[in-house]
Amino acid sequence: MSYVEFQGISKQFGETLAVEDLDISIAQGEFFSLLGPSGCGKSTTLRMLAGFVTPTTGQIHVHGRDITRLPPEARDIGIVFQNYAIFPHMTVYDNIAFGLVERNMTKRDIRRKVEAALEQVGMSGYERRFERELSGGQKQRVALARVLVIEPEILLLDEPLSALDKKMREEMKFWIKEIQRSVGITTIYVTHDQSEALTMSDRIAVMEGGRVLQVGTPVEIYEYPASRFVAEFIGESNLLSGRVQEVTDGRCEIDLGPAAVPAQAPSGAPLSEGSEVALLIRPEMIRLHKVSEDEAPMLEGRIAEEVYQGSLRRYQVETAGQKLTVEVANRPDLPLRSAGEAVALYWNTESGVVVR
Amino acid sequence: MTEIAATTPAPVKSGGLGLRQSQFKWLLVVPLIVFFCIFFVIPVGLIFATSFNPSAIGQVAPTADITLENYIRFFSRSNYLMAAGRSVVLGVVVALVTLIVAYPMAFVIAKTRHPGRNTTLLILVLAAMQLDMVIRLYGMMVILGDNGLINQMLLGLGLTSEDAPVQLMYNFLGVVLGLVQFALPFMILTLVGVIRGIDPSLEEAARALGASRRRAFFRVTLPMSMPGILSGSLLVFALSISSYIVPALMGGFRVGVLPIHIFQQVAEGARFQFGATIAVILFLLSAGAIAIYLRVGARRSGGLA
Repeated sequence: MSYVEFQGISKQFGETLAVEDLDISIAQGEFFSLLGPSGCGKSTTLRMLAGFVTPTTGQIHVHGRDITRLPPEARDIGIVFQNYAIFPHMTVYDNIAFGLVERNMTKRDIRRKVEAALEQVGMSGYERRFERELSGGQKQRVALARVLVIEPEILLLDEPLSALDKKMREEMKFWIKEIQRSVGITTIYVTHDQSEALTMSDRIAVMEGGRVLQVGTPVEIYEYPASRFVAEFIGESNLLSGRVQEVTDGRCEIDLGPAAVPAQAPSGAPLSEGSEVALLIRPEMIRLHKVSEDEAPMLEGRIAEEVYQGSLRRYQVETAGQKLTVEVANRPDLPLRSAGEAVALYWNTESGVVVR
Repeated sequence: MTEIAATTPAPVKSGGLGLRQSQFKWLLVVPLIVFFCIFFVIPVGLIFATSFNPSAIGQVAPTADITLENYIRFFSRSNYLMAAGRSVVLGVVVALVTLIVAYPMAFVIAKTRHPGRNTTLLILVLAAMQLDMVIRLYGMMVILGDNGLINQMLLGLGLTSEDAPVQLMYNFLGVVLGLVQFALPFMILTLVGVIRGIDPSLEEAARALGASRRRAFFRVTLPMSMPGILSGSLLVFALSISSYIVPALMGGFRVGVLPIHIFQQVAEGARFQFGATIAVILFLLSAGAIAIYLRVGARRSGGLA
């Protein structure tokens, strides 16, 4: 049973349609990400759930209750903003106590809960600090404590890592996920960073132009993208345009011009022969060596460029009229190639995914 | 190679230029400093000096003769002490009334996102400052005077009689009303800047934490407007206690505040020394208000102003 349910949600701002006919259901305790480029409607979607924006059409249900027109304070939803929105005129203690004061708790209960919340986020001893005396990561922790202390039904995170430097971001990514798991709170995470979404989420909705393009687990989104946009937005991709030549139960043959290669047929509507499709192969799936004696190369090409990146080497390979990116792990058992060399490209049939 | 040779000296040169620029940029404020010295620092210094000279009718320039007799006279005469008290009360009342009237307007302007509407509202506020003060005060007299619109209306309704109009001006009330209308734009502009600077996500955070619109205003927006409230009030206080034209016209010289006394000493009695003494005391009152403001401001923002 779904816990948070968007039903036919649209939002129009003047002439522009920010969110169009959105249907999403999120399970209790799930870590759900809204992923997309800026202006895709993900923030508007989050703000509709928080109650700062009223949908033009549609309904939002939380735990079976219609909250579409409730004011934010009546929703029992906690939100952490991109800039953390720590109240600068209050101490850390008063910031965290804010929601508890609104709930008319006694001073003693407030003290106990604030102390527990600070402990939970590893910020004990910072009670009397002000916002300007905190680092980015500490503000993040305070913002999260301030929200978790009121024990909301849902936690909303609006690009909470984008204001941090790279190292801090990596650290906080795992820390947030850990806190979320230990509290078990249903979490909706808005981000434009695909690596954050992939590492943290149970499921991801990829959005573009106000629409949801695909909803799925990180594995589904990465390995079986439903469209060219998703394939290109998530991770690095090689997309080869071709034509469907033959379809036989679960397998198909794609004509790429110089050669035809076998591939896995996509789920959903069956492919029709002769239709224009793209074949997606991730750079790390392509090999420059064969794994069995009788493996035949999928394509042949010539190395145009080689870039050394420490743990791996990236090659640009010219083949079938375009350039493919190939990533080869930097291991002693794999052959080294240099620019100008003719190479054969291998990959497992199931690594080639047909994208409509 | 020639390219490299041509480009390498560039950073050194620009670094040298940057250093020279930072030295020369102080030259830009020299005209201001000269102007400020000739027309402010020196005259004010002379007034300070004059206030310590013995009273001599018609004597303008300061002399080497030093005495405290003017100050003793000021503090031993109850009408001057009461005038000082009246000035302070006037400044405080005007600052409070102006704040209460200006805040909602400033809030509306600050929260109006639509650029056209926002500009229109600001122009309306600034339009009030386009006319000369004297003309605006005569306009107020038409409404508030003994034969003004309000009194004529009350007379027409039979609520008052011809020989006992309601006193709306030539008293403390009239001065307050005149000063409030004079000070409103200053207060509104000060507040708009500060309220607009409050991050809207702070109010949203408060709402999401369970505060109603009203509670969020009183717990977040209002305390965060405090710097604007304090500096706007200080500005209005200083404008009010130093205003001569408004007490003169709206109070009809019947509301004896310090600037009225200064004018009487200097223009009517030609007693520059005692006039200067009152001016110094007026200056100290303003300075005292600034000191209190800095104190409160520092405490409000938790030690860092």
